Amino acid sequence: MKYDCIIIGGGLAGLTCAIKCSSEGLSTAVISCGASALHIASGSIDLLGYSSGRYLTGDLDTHLDQLIKRKKNHPYAKIGKKCIWESLEFFRQILSKERLNLFSMDKKNHFHITSLGILKPAYLSQRSIFNGRLLDSYKLKKGLVLLNFRGYRDYYPGLAMNQLKKNPLFRDIPLKTGLIELPHYTKTARNMLEFRSIDLARVFEDETYLSKIAEDIRTGAGDADVVTLPDFIGIHNYEKLHARLEEMTGKSIIEIPNLPPSIPGMRIEHALKTSYASHGGEFSSGDRVTGCSMSRGMVEYITTENYSDTRLSAKCYILAAGSFFSGGLKSGYNLIHEPIFNLKVAGGSDRTKWASDQFFSRGSHPFMEFGVETGTDLHPFGADAKKIKNLYCAGAILSGYNPVMEGSGGGVAISTGYKAALEVIKKIKKSSLE
Amino acid sequence: METDVIIIGGGATGTGIARDLSLRGVRSILVEKDDIASGTTGRNHGLLHSGARYAVKDIDSAVECARENRILKKIARHCIEETGGLFVTLPEDDPSYQDRLMDGCSNAGIKAVEISCKDALAIEPRLNSSILSAIKVPDGTIDPFRLSSANMLSAMENGGKFITHAAVGSIIMKGGAVSGIECVSAKEGRFSIHANIIINAAGIWSQEICSLAGIKLKMLPSKGSMLIVDYRINRTVVNRCRVPSDGDIVVPGDTVSLIGTTSRSIEYNGIDDLRVDDDEIDILIRNGEKLIPDITRSRALRAYAGVRPLLAVPGNTAGRDISRGIVLIDHEERDGLKGLVTIVGGKLMTYRLMAEMASDLVTGKIGVSKKCLTARIPLPGSERLESLKKNLKLFPGISKSVIGSAMYRHGYRASKILKNDKKNYRQICECEMVTEGEIGYAMKSLNTGNITDLRRRTRIGMGPCQGALCTYRCAGLLNEMGHTTPGESLRMMEEFLEERWKGVRPVLWGDGLRESEFTYWIYQGLFGLGNIKNDNDGSSDEI
Repeated sequence: MKYDCIIIGGGLAGLTCAIKCSSEGLSTAVISCGASALHIASGSIDLLGYSSGRYLTGDLDTHLDQLIKRKKNHPYAKIGKKCIWESLEFFRQILSKERLNLFSMDKKNHFHITSLGILKPAYLSQRSIFNGRLLDSYKLKKGLVLLNFRGYRDYYPGLAMNQLKKNPLFRDIPLKTGLIELPHYTKTARNMLEFRSIDLARVFEDETYLSKIAEDIRTGAGDADVVTLPDFIGIHNYEKLHARLEEMTGKSIIEIPNLPPSIPGMRIEHALKTSYASHGGEFSSGDRVTGCSMSRGMVEYITTENYSDTRLSAKCYILAAGSFFSGGLKSGYNLIHEPIFNLKVAGGSDRTKWASDQFFSRGSHPFMEFGVETGTDLHPFGADAKKIKNLYCAGAILSGYNPVMEGSGGGVAISTGYKAALEVIKKIKKSSLE
Repeated sequence: METDVIIIGGGATGTGIARDLSLRGVRSILVEKDDIASGTTGRNHGLLHSGARYAVKDIDSAVECARENRILKKIARHCIEETGGLFVTLPEDDPSYQDRLMDGCSNAGIKAVEISCKDALAIEPRLNSSILSAIKVPDGTIDPFRLSSANMLSAMENGGKFITHAAVGSIIMKGGAVSGIECVSAKEGRFSIHANIIINAAGIWSQEICSLAGIKLKMLPSKGSMLIVDYRINRTVVNRCRVPSDGDIVVPGDTVSLIGTTSRSIEYNGIDDLRVDDDEIDILIRNGEKLIPDITRSRALRAYAGVRPLLAVPGNTAGRDISRGIVLIDHEERDGLKGLVTIVGGKLMTYRLMAEMASDLVTGKIGVSKKCLTARIPLPGSERLESLKKNLKLFPGISKSVIGSAMYRHGYRASKILKNDKKNYRQICECEMVTEGEIGYAMKSLNTGNITDLRRRTRIGMGPCQGALCTYRCAGLLNEMGHTTPGESLRMMEEFLEERWKGVRPVLWGDGLRESEFTYWIYQGLFGLGNIKNDNDGSSDEI
């Protein structure tokens, strides 16, 4: 089978790239091996959250300038600021079309509440997580109540409340915790005590239980006008349900992203997949690349588990298979490698230098920055150290940045995925002219 | 506080002494600076020695082991698995060692049987198929955490008191005799306990305790490192048939297998900061693969080190060559200090005998004539065999694996934990099937202070994910149950993940690295646990 481009990896980077390519009329296929890192993310898009352990509260444009100047090998430095902003705008628009609007504080970070009550910076958030609009409530010093479902094992609001109390921002705001019941009106066969976030989201996938939970929330909240809950609103009809619930309760409802799977992350994945499908793109899920053939320094074709003997070939290939967690990078006893194309990887063969002695080390861990090396055009280098001219890399598989420490995971995935798409489009349009 | 006997050290020996004394009606308070089984007791390979490993070189130890092996199988059966063991000769090994081992076993009364290589491979299919010979021995495995916990529980049920996380600051002396100790703990501050008898059962730390009394005791710390792989890949204990050396044993235990052990002399001042050296990992893997070639296809889960509590004997300095014999010192005789007794040396296997010896000595001193009962009365949990069938019937709706795990860990006491309470459905650690009910029981009845202690009582966080999900759940739950303040829970969460990391860090490759990246994403990326300070000092003063 022959495509214009084949994208390996169906996460944030791969799907952004796939949507851009297919929306420009390229025939596109995505090979995805399973749940992406979106399932363990907060669902907010961070662009640049920290520098040397401190929150970045100023103009992100300036912060980006400083980073690009300082770190020449950073993916942001490779693709440039213009492309970064353009990609985020593109991303916002495609999600908006799928009725998943992302909010920002202009070009600054906002801070969302984590389940430990620690504030984390992000650039874009969904309406139930974005707390910019809560500023007034905070200033008015009205109460905030942290509610939980009784017996839910993946969230403990007592810890969050205590931490919020220590935060100067919340100093004068009355805080309390409360419980609401779930099992008595859900018909689910599963025991509530075994619930994960996804089970809650399934219960609140439509309006069936909305009025009942609204009543419970109202009672639980008392006179407080802001209510937090663990992520629980469904995936497919989220914005409408959230708005409806706020209307019914008369409260601002904030979701706190929690232990995996991340419902906000899955909402993004769903919106991206829907958008991609609407452009006619092909998506092979639960699939895995089993081999590749190279010819004259270029990728000739790949094979996958689902298509067994069929050779899948394309004019261009994009590798967006993620880091170690997703299997895009592998580590052996004393070896870091990229398993599909055996690309040149920044890593090192001395495993004793891969990580810090402390898990929560201020300097994070070297392995977080390991990955494939590329040029500014995102072409990686093959085993012979030569650029592979029809292969591009995007997202967490790239080297030179620490998504957790910098708070840049979402931004790098989206912007490099987008940039790879631009390169592919340029190349294919050029060759068709010729 | 006042008591008859103070026991210093909460390892197998200390908890064993507490039990022994309590069964004789002697009042005691045990003081431990960390948690029970947190020292050498919890940092070995968990081998229930048949005695065969000592049969060639140390016949006395072999005989002791063989005898205690039989006793433990009766009194501590819920802590033990009778897996059986093999001694196999590899092509590179001296074949004559096999005969010496057979002779040694016969002299020590250990039931060793030569079997064909084919039979050995039938028993242990993953064994190196090029072995030259095999001997079957009655080795088994013993869970040191469960053993210490059961001894503590027995002592507490008979009036014994335990104070953990309290260090001994000084020994109070009056006219050539001890009269008590002063302790320091984070929770209680400074306090003292008065008693006329002190038993120093501090293992490798005995040297420090003695020095508090102005007595010289020289320990020779010898570090042993071990590596754990995910999945239980062997059924029996696999020993290499040669003079004991690095990496010559693979022990199955709970849900994992373990490659043991190295032996390295270390400085005494290094005993509180044990690290597994990188080349020890290489040695363990290289040698483990010789016994079970597939072993490295399993993910390396963690590595850890313990210190052998060996007493210096003039002329002998190498760890593995020193007799591991038991040393009981009456400091009244040796140093003229009345009331202080040190019990040191020995092995996990002989903890009960050591406890008996120390208890005999001190009961003689205080005029109690009751004899030792610990060889006869089963430990709590081992009173009777628990029936899975009965429990399944008794607790409908609780999954078989949850019931099975609770029984595996708590034996006959499992039904206490599984009391028909809906809370038992809430699985906090899914790798090891630890429920809210089990955590509640451990917090209430097993003298548990933090998540790391809880791990020793329940195996929480010991499975493949090494605490990725259960650490947060557990910290939240302890706060919800009222055992901790939110601040304490947060601190415990960080400490527990750092403690897990200490063991994961030396074996960070393959799926271990993958898992660590996942855990890091959750606790640092999603929760921001490392950013607490930032929040508190107001560096995010804008929203």
